[in-house]
Amino acid sequence: MSALVLAAQGEGFTPPGKEDFWWPILGSDTSAWTLTRPAVMALLSVALLAWFLLAATRHRSIIPGKLQFVGEGAYGFVRESIGRDLIGSKDFLRFMPLLFTQFSVILLNNLFGIIPFVQYPTMSRYGFPVALAAITYFTFHAVGFRKKGFVGYFKDLVPPGLPGWIVPVIFVLEFVDKFITRPLTLSLRLFANMFAGHLLLLVFILGAEHMLLTGGPALKVAGVLSGVLAIVMTFFELLVEVLQAYIFTLLTALYIGGALAEEH
Amino acid sequence: MVTPPPRTPYDDEHDGPLEEARAWGVVSYLLAGLLTFGGLGLLADHLLGTSWLVLVGLLTGVGLAFYLIWFRYGTP
Amino acid sequence: MNGTLNGNLNLIGYGLSAIGPGVGIGLIFAAYINGVARQPEARGMLQPIAFLGFALAEALALFGLVLAFVL
Repeated sequence: MSALVLAAQGEGFTPPGKEDFWWPILGSDTSAWTLTRPAVMALLSVALLAWFLLAATRHRSIIPGKLQFVGEGAYGFVRESIGRDLIGSKDFLRFMPLLFTQFSVILLNNLFGIIPFVQYPTMSRYGFPVALAAITYFTFHAVGFRKKGFVGYFKDLVPPGLPGWIVPVIFVLEFVDKFITRPLTLSLRLFANMFAGHLLLLVFILGAEHMLLTGGPALKVAGVLSGVLAIVMTFFELLVEVLQAYIFTLLTALYIGGALAEEH
Repeated sequence: MVTPPPRTPYDDEHDGPLEEARAWGVVSYLLAGLLTFGGLGLLADHLLGTSWLVLVGLLTGVGLAFYLIWFRYGTP
Repeated sequence: MNGTLNGNLNLIGYGLSAIGPGVGIGLIFAAYINGVARQPEARGMLQPIAFLGFALAEALALFGLVLAFVL
Protein backbone atom coordinates (compact mmCIF):
# COMPACT_ATOMS: atom_id res chain seq x y z
CA MET A 1 0.00 0.00 0.00
CA SER A 2 1.62 3.23 -1.00
CA ALA A 3 1.68 6.03 1.47
CA LEU A 4 -0.22 8.21 -0.98
CA VAL A 5 -3.22 5.90 -1.06
CA LEU A 6 -3.23 5.53 2.67
CA ALA A 7 -2.84 9.22 3.42
CA ALA A 8 -5.64 10.21 1.10
CA GLN A 9 -8.53 8.70 2.96
CA GLY A 10 -9.81 7.59 6.31
CA GLU A 11 -9.46 9.34 9.61
CA GLY A 12 -7.73 8.04 12.67
CA PHE A 13 -8.16 4.43 13.66
CA THR A 14 -7.38 3.64 17.25
CA PRO A 15 -6.04 0.09 17.38
CA PRO A 16 -7.64 -2.13 20.02
CA GLY A 17 -5.73 -2.33 23.26
CA LYS A 18 -6.16 -3.41 26.78
CA GLU A 19 -8.78 -0.78 27.47
CA ASP A 20 -11.11 -2.74 25.22
CA PHE A 21 -11.28 -5.43 27.87
CA TRP A 22 -12.71 -3.17 30.56
CA TRP A 23 -16.45 -3.54 30.42
CA PRO A 24 -18.11 -2.31 33.60
CA ILE A 25 -21.77 -3.00 34.13
CA LEU A 26 -22.49 -1.68 37.56
CA GLY A 27 -20.36 0.80 39.36
CA SER A 28 -17.81 3.47 38.70
CA ASP A 29 -14.95 3.24 36.30
CA THR A 30 -12.11 3.23 38.79
CA SER A 31 -13.34 1.30 41.80
CA ALA A 32 -12.13 -2.24 42.36
CA TRP A 33 -15.63 -3.44 43.16
CA THR A 34 -17.44 -2.60 39.95
CA LEU A 35 -19.38 -5.45 38.48
CA THR A 36 -17.83 -6.12 35.11
CA ARG A 37 -19.07 -8.16 32.19
CA PRO A 38 -16.61 -11.07 32.60
CA ALA A 39 -17.70 -11.47 36.23
CA VAL A 40 -21.33 -11.85 35.19
CA MET A 41 -20.29 -14.19 32.40
CA ALA A 42 -18.29 -16.37 34.76
CA LEU A 43 -21.28 -16.71 37.07
CA LEU A 44 -23.53 -17.53 34.13
CA SER A 45 -21.02 -20.12 32.90
CA VAL A 46 -21.15 -21.91 36.25
CA ALA A 47 -24.95 -21.92 36.14
CA LEU A 48 -24.86 -23.21 32.56
CA LEU A 49 -22.44 -26.00 33.45
CA ALA A 50 -24.53 -27.03 36.44
CA TRP A 51 -27.65 -27.17 34.29
CA PHE A 52 -25.84 -29.18 31.59
CA LEU A 53 -24.40 -31.74 33.98
CA LEU A 54 -27.66 -32.16 35.84
CA ALA A 55 -29.51 -32.65 32.58
CA ALA A 56 -26.92 -35.11 31.32
CA THR A 57 -27.18 -37.34 34.38
CA ARG A 58 -30.88 -37.10 35.02
CA HIS A 59 -32.03 -40.19 33.14
CA ARG A 60 -29.04 -42.45 33.51
CA SER A 61 -29.24 -45.55 31.40
CA ILE A 62 -26.82 -48.13 30.08
CA ILE A 63 -27.50 -47.03 26.54
CA PRO A 64 -26.87 -43.29 26.77
CA GLY A 65 -29.03 -40.65 25.26
CA LYS A 66 -27.44 -37.71 23.50
CA LEU A 67 -26.79 -35.44 26.47
CA GLN A 68 -25.54 -38.30 28.57
CA PHE A 69 -23.18 -39.35 25.78
CA VAL A 70 -21.61 -35.91 25.56
CA GLY A 71 -21.27 -35.61 29.31
CA GLU A 72 -19.81 -39.10 29.62
CA GLY A 73 -17.44 -38.42 26.75
CA ALA A 74 -16.02 -35.29 28.34
CA TYR A 75 -15.75 -36.86 31.77
CA GLY A 76 -14.23 -40.04 30.40
CA PHE A 77 -11.65 -38.09 28.47
CA VAL A 78 -10.52 -36.11 31.52
CA ARG A 79 -10.58 -39.18 33.72
CA GLU A 80 -8.69 -41.58 31.49
CA SER A 81 -6.19 -39.57 29.55
CA ILE A 82 -5.46 -36.95 32.19
CA GLY A 83 -6.32 -38.35 35.59
CA ARG A 84 -5.34 -41.99 35.33
CA ASP A 85 -2.29 -41.45 33.17
CA LEU A 86 -0.72 -38.71 35.21
CA ILE A 87 -1.71 -39.39 38.79
CA GLY A 88 -1.65 -43.17 38.62
CA SER A 89 -4.39 -45.70 38.99
CA LYS A 90 -4.26 -45.80 42.75
CA ASP A 91 -5.47 -42.45 43.93
CA PHE A 92 -6.58 -40.45 40.97
CA LEU A 93 -10.25 -40.71 41.83
CA ARG A 94 -9.84 -38.32 44.73
CA PHE A 95 -8.84 -35.55 42.37
CA MET A 96 -11.28 -36.17 39.57
CA PRO A 97 -13.79 -33.56 40.76
CA LEU A 98 -11.09 -30.90 40.76
CA LEU A 99 -9.74 -31.88 37.34
CA PHE A 100 -13.10 -32.16 35.66
CA THR A 101 -14.28 -28.89 37.15
CA GLN A 102 -11.20 -27.06 35.99
CA PHE A 103 -11.41 -28.52 32.51
CA SER A 104 -15.06 -27.76 31.97
CA VAL A 105 -14.99 -24.29 33.52
CA ILE A 106 -11.96 -23.22 31.51
CA LEU A 107 -13.34 -24.75 28.32
CA LEU A 108 -16.72 -23.06 28.62
CA ASN A 109 -15.26 -19.70 29.55
CA ASN A 110 -12.79 -19.92 26.70
CA LEU A 111 -15.50 -20.84 24.24
CA PHE A 112 -17.31 -17.66 25.21
CA GLY A 113 -14.61 -15.94 23.22
CA ILE A 114 -15.92 -17.14 19.89
CA ILE A 115 -19.60 -17.84 20.47
CA PRO A 116 -21.51 -15.20 18.48
CA PHE A 117 -23.10 -12.37 20.45
CA VAL A 118 -20.97 -13.23 23.49
CA GLN A 119 -17.45 -13.01 22.13
CA TYR A 120 -15.49 -12.19 25.26
CA PRO A 121 -13.23 -14.81 26.83
CA THR A 122 -13.51 -14.32 30.56
CA MET A 123 -10.07 -15.82 31.07
CA SER A 124 -8.58 -12.76 29.41
CA ARG A 125 -8.90 -10.88 32.69
CA TYR A 126 -5.96 -11.95 34.76
CA GLY A 127 -7.87 -12.49 37.97
CA PHE A 128 -9.66 -15.61 36.74
CA PRO A 129 -6.61 -17.69 35.76
CA VAL A 130 -4.91 -16.54 38.96
CA ALA A 131 -7.75 -17.94 41.04
CA LEU A 132 -7.68 -21.27 39.20
CA ALA A 133 -3.90 -21.52 39.41
CA ALA A 134 -4.06 -20.70 43.14
CA ILE A 135 -6.37 -23.66 43.67
CA THR A 136 -3.91 -25.92 41.84
CA TYR A 137 -0.99 -24.43 43.79
CA PHE A 138 -2.48 -25.03 47.20
CA THR A 139 -3.72 -28.47 46.23
CA PHE A 140 -0.49 -29.94 45.02
CA HIS A 141 1.56 -28.51 47.88
CA ALA A 142 -0.97 -29.70 50.44
CA VAL A 143 -0.89 -33.17 48.90
CA GLY A 144 2.90 -33.22 49.07
CA PHE A 145 3.01 -31.98 52.64
CA ARG A 146 0.46 -34.53 53.73
CA LYS A 147 2.30 -37.37 52.05
CA LYS A 148 5.87 -36.64 53.03
CA GLY A 149 5.63 -34.42 56.07
CA PHE A 150 6.67 -30.82 56.22
CA VAL A 151 10.44 -31.27 56.38
CA GLY A 152 10.46 -34.40 54.24
CA TYR A 153 8.82 -32.54 51.38
CA PHE A 154 11.58 -29.98 51.30
CA LYS A 155 14.22 -32.65 51.59
CA ASP A 156 12.70 -34.40 48.60
CA LEU A 157 13.03 -31.33 46.43
CA VAL A 158 16.66 -32.09 45.67
CA PRO A 159 17.29 -35.30 43.73
CA PRO A 160 19.60 -37.74 45.47
CA GLY A 161 23.10 -38.38 44.34
CA LEU A 162 24.24 -34.83 43.76
CA PRO A 163 27.70 -33.73 44.86
CA GLY A 164 27.34 -32.08 48.21
CA TRP A 165 28.64 -28.64 47.43
CA ILE A 166 26.02 -27.94 44.80
CA VAL A 167 22.99 -29.02 46.82
CA PRO A 168 22.17 -25.57 48.30
CA VAL A 169 22.10 -23.90 44.88
CA ILE A 170 20.01 -26.67 43.39
CA PHE A 171 17.68 -26.40 46.37
CA VAL A 172 17.18 -22.70 45.64
CA LEU A 173 16.50 -23.51 41.99
CA GLU A 174 13.99 -26.23 42.82
CA PHE A 175 12.30 -24.11 45.46
CA VAL A 176 11.82 -21.21 43.06
CA ASP A 177 10.61 -23.64 40.42
CA LYS A 178 7.96 -25.28 42.55
CA PHE A 179 6.78 -22.32 44.58
CA ILE A 180 7.09 -19.40 42.19
CA THR A 181 7.54 -20.40 38.57
CA ARG A 182 4.87 -23.09 38.43
CA PRO A 183 1.86 -21.03 39.52
CA LEU A 184 3.14 -18.04 37.61
CA THR A 185 3.48 -19.84 34.30
CA LEU A 186 0.26 -21.75 34.82
CA SER A 187 -1.84 -18.63 35.19
CA LEU A 188 0.17 -16.56 32.74
CA ARG A 189 -0.05 -19.17 29.98
CA LEU A 190 -3.85 -19.27 30.08
CA PHE A 191 -4.20 -15.52 30.43
CA ALA A 192 -1.74 -14.63 27.68
CA ASN A 193 -3.24 -17.06 25.19
CA MET A 194 -6.76 -15.78 25.76
CA PHE A 195 -5.76 -12.12 25.82
CA ALA A 196 -3.67 -12.33 22.69
CA GLY A 197 -6.27 -14.37 20.83
CA HIS A 198 -9.04 -11.93 21.60
CA LEU A 199 -6.85 -8.97 20.70
CA LEU A 200 -5.98 -10.62 17.40
CA LEU A 201 -9.63 -11.13 16.54
CA LEU A 202 -10.38 -7.53 17.52
CA VAL A 203 -7.64 -6.20 15.27
CA PHE A 204 -8.82 -8.14 12.26
CA ILE A 205 -12.51 -7.47 12.72
CA LEU A 206 -12.31 -3.80 13.68
CA GLY A 207 -9.71 -3.22 11.00
CA ALA A 208 -11.93 -4.85 8.41
CA GLU A 209 -14.88 -2.74 9.47
CA HIS A 210 -12.88 0.47 9.42
CA MET A 211 -11.25 -0.25 6.10
CA LEU A 212 -14.51 -1.25 4.46
CA LEU A 213 -16.42 1.77 5.66
CA THR A 214 -13.90 4.56 5.32
CA GLY A 215 -11.49 3.49 2.65
CA GLY A 216 -10.84 3.88 -1.00
CA PRO A 217 -11.07 0.92 -3.37
CA ALA A 218 -7.67 -0.47 -2.47
CA LEU A 219 -8.46 -0.39 1.22
CA LYS A 220 -11.83 -1.98 0.65
CA VAL A 221 -10.14 -5.00 -0.89
CA ALA A 222 -7.82 -5.12 2.09
CA GLY A 223 -10.85 -4.92 4.33
CA VAL A 224 -12.41 -7.96 2.70
CA LEU A 225 -9.15 -9.86 3.06
CA SER A 226 -9.00 -8.85 6.68
CA GLY A 227 -12.51 -10.16 7.19
CA VAL A 228 -11.61 -13.51 5.63
CA LEU A 229 -8.58 -13.70 7.87
CA ALA A 230 -10.78 -12.96 10.86
CA ILE A 231 -12.84 -16.05 10.04
CA VAL A 232 -9.69 -18.17 9.73
CA MET A 233 -8.38 -16.83 13.02
CA THR A 234 -11.67 -17.70 14.68
CA PHE A 235 -11.13 -21.35 13.89
CA PHE A 236 -7.55 -21.12 15.05
CA GLU A 237 -8.80 -19.50 18.23
CA LEU A 238 -11.15 -22.44 18.78
CA LEU A 239 -8.19 -24.81 18.61
CA VAL A 240 -6.16 -22.68 21.00
CA GLU A 241 -9.02 -22.44 23.48
CA VAL A 242 -9.60 -26.17 23.70
CA LEU A 243 -5.86 -26.78 23.86
CA GLN A 244 -5.36 -24.30 26.70
CA ALA A 245 -8.12 -25.90 28.76
CA TYR A 246 -6.53 -29.29 28.19
CA ILE A 247 -3.03 -28.08 29.05
CA PHE A 248 -4.16 -26.40 32.27
CA THR A 249 -5.86 -29.57 33.47
CA LEU A 250 -2.91 -31.67 32.31
CA LEU A 251 -0.47 -29.59 34.30
CA THR A 252 -2.64 -29.67 37.39
CA ALA A 253 -2.76 -33.45 37.21
CA LEU A 254 0.98 -33.58 36.52
CA TYR A 255 1.82 -31.48 39.56
CA ILE A 256 -0.45 -33.52 41.79
CA GLY A 257 1.00 -36.74 40.42
CA GLY A 258 4.52 -35.44 40.93
CA ALA A 259 3.76 -34.54 44.53
CA LEU A 260 2.38 -38.02 45.13
CA ALA A 261 5.24 -39.81 43.43
CA GLU A 262 7.10 -42.33 45.49
CA GLU A 263 10.53 -42.09 43.95
CA HIS A 264 13.36 -40.26 45.70
CA MET B 1 -14.52 -40.93 20.05
CA VAL B 2 -12.69 -44.25 20.49
CA THR B 3 -12.97 -45.54 24.03
CA PRO B 4 -9.61 -46.48 25.51
CA PRO B 5 -9.00 -50.15 26.28
CA PRO B 6 -10.34 -51.14 29.69
CA ARG B 7 -7.77 -51.13 32.45
CA THR B 8 -7.78 -52.94 35.72
CA PRO B 9 -7.74 -50.68 38.75
CA TYR B 10 -4.27 -51.74 39.77
CA ASP B 11 -2.10 -51.83 36.68
CA ASP B 12 0.83 -49.79 37.77
CA GLU B 13 3.49 -50.40 35.21
CA HIS B 14 4.47 -46.79 35.65
CA ASP B 15 4.51 -45.49 39.16
CA GLY B 16 4.18 -41.83 38.46
CA PRO B 17 3.49 -39.27 35.78
CA LEU B 18 3.90 -40.09 32.12
CA GLU B 19 7.45 -39.82 30.90
CA GLU B 20 6.55 -37.39 28.16
CA ALA B 21 5.55 -34.96 30.86
CA ARG B 22 9.21 -34.26 31.44
CA ALA B 23 9.07 -31.63 28.72
CA TRP B 24 7.08 -29.38 31.06
CA GLY B 25 9.67 -29.91 33.76
CA VAL B 26 12.42 -28.86 31.36
CA VAL B 27 10.73 -25.57 30.46
CA SER B 28 9.84 -24.95 34.07
CA TYR B 29 13.39 -25.51 35.35
CA LEU B 30 14.87 -23.30 32.65
CA LEU B 31 12.48 -20.49 33.42
CA ALA B 32 13.02 -20.82 37.16
CA GLY B 33 16.79 -20.73 36.75
CA LEU B 34 16.64 -17.70 34.50
CA LEU B 35 14.27 -15.87 36.81
CA THR B 36 16.06 -16.53 40.08
CA PHE B 37 19.61 -16.04 39.08
CA GLY B 38 18.78 -13.31 36.64
CA GLY B 39 16.81 -11.64 39.38
CA LEU B 40 19.69 -12.00 41.81
CA GLY B 41 21.98 -10.54 39.18
CA LEU B 42 19.59 -7.66 38.65
CA LEU B 43 19.46 -7.01 42.38
CA ALA B 44 23.23 -7.10 42.64
CA ASP B 45 23.48 -4.72 39.70
CA HIS B 46 21.10 -2.33 41.36
CA LEU B 47 22.96 -2.44 44.65
CA LEU B 48 26.48 -2.34 43.32
CA GLY B 49 25.95 -0.11 40.32
CA THR B 50 27.50 -2.43 37.76
CA SER B 51 25.79 -3.36 34.53
CA TRP B 52 27.02 -6.82 33.63
CA LEU B 53 26.02 -8.82 36.70
CA VAL B 54 22.60 -9.44 35.16
CA LEU B 55 24.21 -11.36 32.33
CA VAL B 56 26.38 -13.35 34.70
CA GLY B 57 23.29 -14.18 36.72
CA LEU B 58 21.32 -15.27 33.67
CA LEU B 59 24.13 -17.48 32.40
CA THR B 60 24.59 -19.03 35.84
CA GLY B 61 20.88 -19.73 36.01
CA VAL B 62 20.87 -21.36 32.58
CA GLY B 63 23.92 -23.41 33.47
CA LEU B 64 22.45 -24.65 36.74
CA ALA B 65 19.17 -25.44 35.05
CA PHE B 66 21.04 -27.46 32.43
CA TYR B 67 22.85 -29.36 35.14
CA LEU B 68 19.65 -30.16 36.96
CA ILE B 69 17.88 -31.19 33.77
CA TRP B 70 20.77 -33.41 32.77
CA PHE B 71 20.85 -34.94 36.21
CA ARG B 72 17.14 -35.62 36.46
CA TYR B 73 16.15 -36.39 32.90
CA GLY B 74 19.29 -36.92 30.87
CA THR B 75 20.87 -39.88 32.61
CA PRO B 76 18.58 -42.91 32.63
CA MET C 1 -4.06 7.48 7.37
CA ASN C 2 -1.13 8.85 9.25
CA GLY C 3 0.06 7.33 12.41
CA THR C 4 2.98 6.76 14.66
CA LEU C 5 4.45 3.45 15.64
CA ASN C 6 5.11 3.02 19.32
CA GLY C 7 6.88 0.11 20.75
CA ASN C 8 10.15 -1.38 21.58
CA LEU C 9 12.77 -2.77 19.27
CA ASN C 10 13.28 -5.51 21.86
CA LEU C 11 10.11 -7.19 20.75
CA ILE C 12 11.11 -7.34 17.10
CA GLY C 13 14.43 -8.80 18.19
CA TYR C 14 12.69 -11.38 20.34
CA GLY C 15 10.31 -12.31 17.56
CA LEU C 16 13.13 -12.87 15.12
CA SER C 17 15.18 -14.82 17.60
CA ALA C 18 12.30 -17.17 18.37
CA ILE C 19 12.38 -18.58 14.83
CA GLY C 20 15.56 -20.55 15.50
CA PRO C 21 14.49 -22.49 18.59
CA GLY C 22 11.11 -23.16 17.02
CA VAL C 23 12.68 -24.84 14.01
CA GLY C 24 15.24 -26.58 16.20
CA ILE C 25 12.71 -28.12 18.55
CA GLY C 26 10.65 -29.27 15.62
CA LEU C 27 13.68 -31.00 14.13
CA ILE C 28 14.60 -32.64 17.42
CA PHE C 29 11.20 -34.12 18.01
CA ALA C 30 10.82 -35.08 14.35
CA ALA C 31 13.99 -37.15 14.71
CA TYR C 32 12.69 -38.64 17.95
CA ILE C 33 9.39 -39.62 16.38
CA ASN C 34 11.20 -41.10 13.40
CA GLY C 35 13.48 -43.14 15.62
CA VAL C 36 10.64 -44.46 17.76
CA ALA C 37 8.55 -45.23 14.67
CA ARG C 38 11.30 -47.29 13.11
CA GLN C 39 12.13 -49.15 16.29
CA PRO C 40 9.70 -48.84 19.18
CA GLU C 41 12.03 -50.65 21.56
CA ALA C 42 14.50 -47.78 21.31
CA ARG C 43 12.07 -45.43 23.01
CA GLY C 44 13.68 -45.61 26.44
CA MET C 45 17.11 -44.93 25.00
CA LEU C 46 16.10 -42.06 22.79
CA GLN C 47 13.98 -40.23 25.30
CA PRO C 48 16.75 -38.74 27.50
CA ILE C 49 18.58 -37.56 24.40
CA ALA C 50 15.46 -35.95 23.03
CA PHE C 51 14.80 -34.08 26.25
CA LEU C 52 18.39 -32.92 26.56
CA GLY C 53 18.25 -31.53 23.04
CA PHE C 54 14.91 -29.92 23.78
CA ALA C 55 16.34 -28.27 26.89
CA LEU C 56 19.26 -26.79 24.97
CA ALA C 57 17.05 -25.38 22.22
CA GLU C 58 14.41 -24.08 24.61
CA ALA C 59 17.05 -22.35 26.69
CA LEU C 60 17.83 -20.06 23.80
CA ALA C 61 14.18 -19.21 23.32
CA LEU C 62 13.65 -18.43 27.00
CA PHE C 63 16.90 -16.51 27.11
CA GLY C 64 15.62 -14.29 24.32
CA LEU C 65 12.32 -13.79 26.11
CA VAL C 66 13.95 -12.78 29.39
CA LEU C 67 16.44 -10.48 27.71
CA ALA C 68 13.63 -8.76 25.83
CA PHE C 69 12.27 -7.69 29.20
CA VAL C 70 15.52 -7.01 31.00
CA LEU C 71 17.23 -4.87 28.41
